[in-house]
Amino acid sequence: MIATIARQEWRLLKADRALAAVVALMALLVGYSLYNGSAWVAFQKQTLRAADREQGSRLTKLITNLRGIEDGRIQPKGSQDPRSAGSIGGTTAAPYLAMPPAPLATLAIGQSDLYPYYFKLNLRSKQAILANDEIENPTNLLAGRFDLAFVLVYLFPLVVLALGYNMISAEREQGTLALALSQPVTIRELVTGKIVLRGALLLALVVVFTLAGAMLTGVDFSLPTVWLRLGLWMALMTLYTGFWFGLAVIVNSFGTSSATNALTLAGAWLALVLVAPSVANLVATSAYPVPSRVEMVQAMRVAGKEAQSKGSTLLSRYMEDHPELVPEGEKPQADFASLTYAVQMEVDHKVQPILDRFDGQVSRQQEFVDHFRFLSPAILAQSAINDLAGTSLGRYQHFSRQVDRFFDSWKSYFLPKVFQRVKLSSSDVSGFPEYRYSEEADSDIVGRVAVALTGLAALTALSLGAGFWRLKKRALQVQ
Amino acid sequence: MILHIAKKEMLEMRKDGRFQVASAIILTLLCVSLGIGWQQYLTVSRQHEQARAQTREQWLTQGKKNPHSAAHYGVYAFKPKSPLSLVDRGADQYTGVAVWLEAHKQNEFKYKPARDANTLSRFGDLTASGVLQLLIPLLIILMSFSAFAGEREQGTLRLLLSMGVPREKLATGKALGVAGGLGMLLGPSALIGSAALVLASDTGAFAANLPRLGWMTVSYLLYFTAFIGISLAVSALAKSARLALVCLLGFWIFNGLAAPRLFSDLSRTMHRTPSSFAFTQRMDEELKKGFDEAQFKEKVLAQYKVTKVDELPVNYSGLSLKAGEEHGNEVYDRLYGELWDTFEAQNRMQQQGGIVAPMMSIRSISMGLSGTDFAQFRDFSVAAEKYRRMFIEVMNEDITHAPKGDGSRMGDDALWAKVPAFEYNAPQTGTVLAQQAWSLGLLVAWAAGASLAAGWAATQRLKAE
Repeated sequence: MIATIARQEWRLLKADRALAAVVALMALLVGYSLYNGSAWVAFQKQTLRAADREQGSRLTKLITNLRGIEDGRIQPKGSQDPRSAGSIGGTTAAPYLAMPPAPLATLAIGQSDLYPYYFKLNLRSKQAILANDEIENPTNLLAGRFDLAFVLVYLFPLVVLALGYNMISAEREQGTLALALSQPVTIRELVTGKIVLRGALLLALVVVFTLAGAMLTGVDFSLPTVWLRLGLWMALMTLYTGFWFGLAVIVNSFGTSSATNALTLAGAWLALVLVAPSVANLVATSAYPVPSRVEMVQAMRVAGKEAQSKGSTLLSRYMEDHPELVPEGEKPQADFASLTYAVQMEVDHKVQPILDRFDGQVSRQQEFVDHFRFLSPAILAQSAINDLAGTSLGRYQHFSRQVDRFFDSWKSYFLPKVFQRVKLSSSDVSGFPEYRYSEEADSDIVGRVAVALTGLAALTALSLGAGFWRLKKRALQVQ
Repeated sequence: MILHIAKKEMLEMRKDGRFQVASAIILTLLCVSLGIGWQQYLTVSRQHEQARAQTREQWLTQGKKNPHSAAHYGVYAFKPKSPLSLVDRGADQYTGVAVWLEAHKQNEFKYKPARDANTLSRFGDLTASGVLQLLIPLLIILMSFSAFAGEREQGTLRLLLSMGVPREKLATGKALGVAGGLGMLLGPSALIGSAALVLASDTGAFAANLPRLGWMTVSYLLYFTAFIGISLAVSALAKSARLALVCLLGFWIFNGLAAPRLFSDLSRTMHRTPSSFAFTQRMDEELKKGFDEAQFKEKVLAQYKVTKVDELPVNYSGLSLKAGEEHGNEVYDRLYGELWDTFEAQNRMQQQGGIVAPMMSIRSISMGLSGTDFAQFRDFSVAAEKYRRMFIEVMNEDITHAPKGDGSRMGDDALWAKVPAFEYNAPQTGTVLAQQAWSLGLLVAWAAGASLAAGWAATQRLKAE
């Protein structure tokens, strides 16, 4: 029976010009947004390639220089010896630590325009490394990007509602509802048929256009993770579509006119997609205000000043703690490089609690917000899409942890050599710590997305369930 | 007659449950957002005031030190928050809050609040400007989409027209009715907003911000007028109330959600922003080339007609530092100038987007008058950089004119006090208005055009059946 209804619906829809309009609109929106996404990914990749080239040529130059000195062809001159560990670890061999765009990054720009995707290492403070940003016009950041996630999370529900707002009311207004229900068919079957057809149609459009777009923008389909992510993404879209259809059923079950339904659904969309997230944000920022960066800057400066003033004391204390670092045959004494790093270490040490407090408050706020996700399907969908596209806060934190670890190993390789005033040679270069970005495990992504999917499934079950429950409960006016 | 119609419209609205609920929600959101904006303004300005005093104190009490070391120690400049940011936070979340002013280098502003914000913030902050720019137009649409089309469907339009009610009076009455309904909602919130502003600023600052507030009010009224006109015109033209609603909602979504993103993408395509990597590379190259120490030394020796640096009547190191600064400044002015010009070209293009979406105009004006747009961020950056150059210059002058041969010359508190504290005054209202001329003009055109369209549609195109 449901299949018969769906076939009938299909005949009706096919004759309607609205279908062609929906197809054209979806093609346009998906196409344009994927173009935007791929332009951003291309920009990132180009930047990373340029950084890679620069790093390569810097290293080649360093090796040539070192060999020259070893052969006696070049005389080291000036205050900075190119062989010194400080100069090599801090500048000439300092690598770029990159997080390349994930395979499906074209699908959602997400938070990736806000967080850095590469850092240039130095031997000084982590703060100096992390504060690096991509250049962007603040007005553009404010507007956000027209990416596929925007189309799917914000605009797609409106298409669903446009196809569903008058599911029952139009039949009643045309006088066909009574006719249809005089057949051996229940109202539930009728609605199911309508939803199944329209939902399947919309999903097919989304899937086909997105896959086509993904192919055109060069997504590598040979990777198993791509298929996993695409599968989760389709499950997500199915649930999201179901949620909005469910809402349309609930509203239709009240037996109000099509115009009233349209208004009510527009209001619901507004409340769930625009108002709920910003109210939740407001509550979160009021409940867990992030401490001020301005205060942090000042605290760091005070710590720096104190450390500076007792720099030589710090160094000798450090040398007493690490007698193995005192250059052979010398008394502990201060040279400029050792002093700088000793001071820096003290500053880092002092600043760490401030940074910890800061990060702690930010992550407490984020945890709090994570609870709010379940209030709005839009928030759930957006967070899951960002995770699947690899443009979420989660992946950035994964990257930033790797940067932390690598920074530590880089420092523990070079700093002792700075204090010992070791001169490095060309053969040492191959022994420098090497950075390689390791992608998040699929299980981590699935874990995060599963939470969002479960929440969304619950909301969808709620809206569809309530809608169908009301259809039975209420003897619907057919005229 | 007109008043009768307006009163009847307002009475209907007051009785309509939907309007009541929508108004109550919007009024609540507006009040809450103003309250939060006010509180945030107070917190942030207090922090900045403390930090400002602290950084000054650190500079003055840095103790005995070589003047060039002092220049390296430098000071921090913190971007002040403007009182009207409680209405519109604009791009504030996406510009850095602090910049380190030090020798040799024009640093970038660090610490964008958005980077520390939770992931929800990209859905949009709840601010008064958001409510005014997005939700009020929606309310206008809800109030007026059925103004003509609905009456026609109920058959009352034919009745009205057959009674000899002039169409232009009917249209004016309907428009006034919607405006009156809006007034009932916005009147109280305008009072609350002004009260918040008075509380947020000391009396002097409030008086200084009054013209800005006045212009902002005018701009928002123009924006609302445009929406009332458009809604009434569409309601008169559309075959049915449903069609009118669909068209108006479509326009609302385009205007409020799609247009800002579309125009920001478009402007980025037309005026490319360099990557931070390319920008830094270019900066390094330009800084490296150009300043030739040896050449400069020759020039100085020739200028003072001596053969050795030791014979100079002044300290050579001070001159050399100064020349190095000047070379750097020239590069910074050029490169940052280019970059910021690119941003401004992008923003101008987005302003021109106001031709098809009035949102682009009102957003730009509102940010501008609130002092939270890019232009005023740039103004502050330039002022901070000017201050940097001034105090570095004072340090270098001191090195140049120190007694000869005193290589380990130390600066003291007297020298530090020679550098005045950093004071910043936000641009005058006139400057902002000149930057927003395009947007203001477009908004006036929208309001006038939409009103004319509504009048035309109601008198010439309105069919009783």
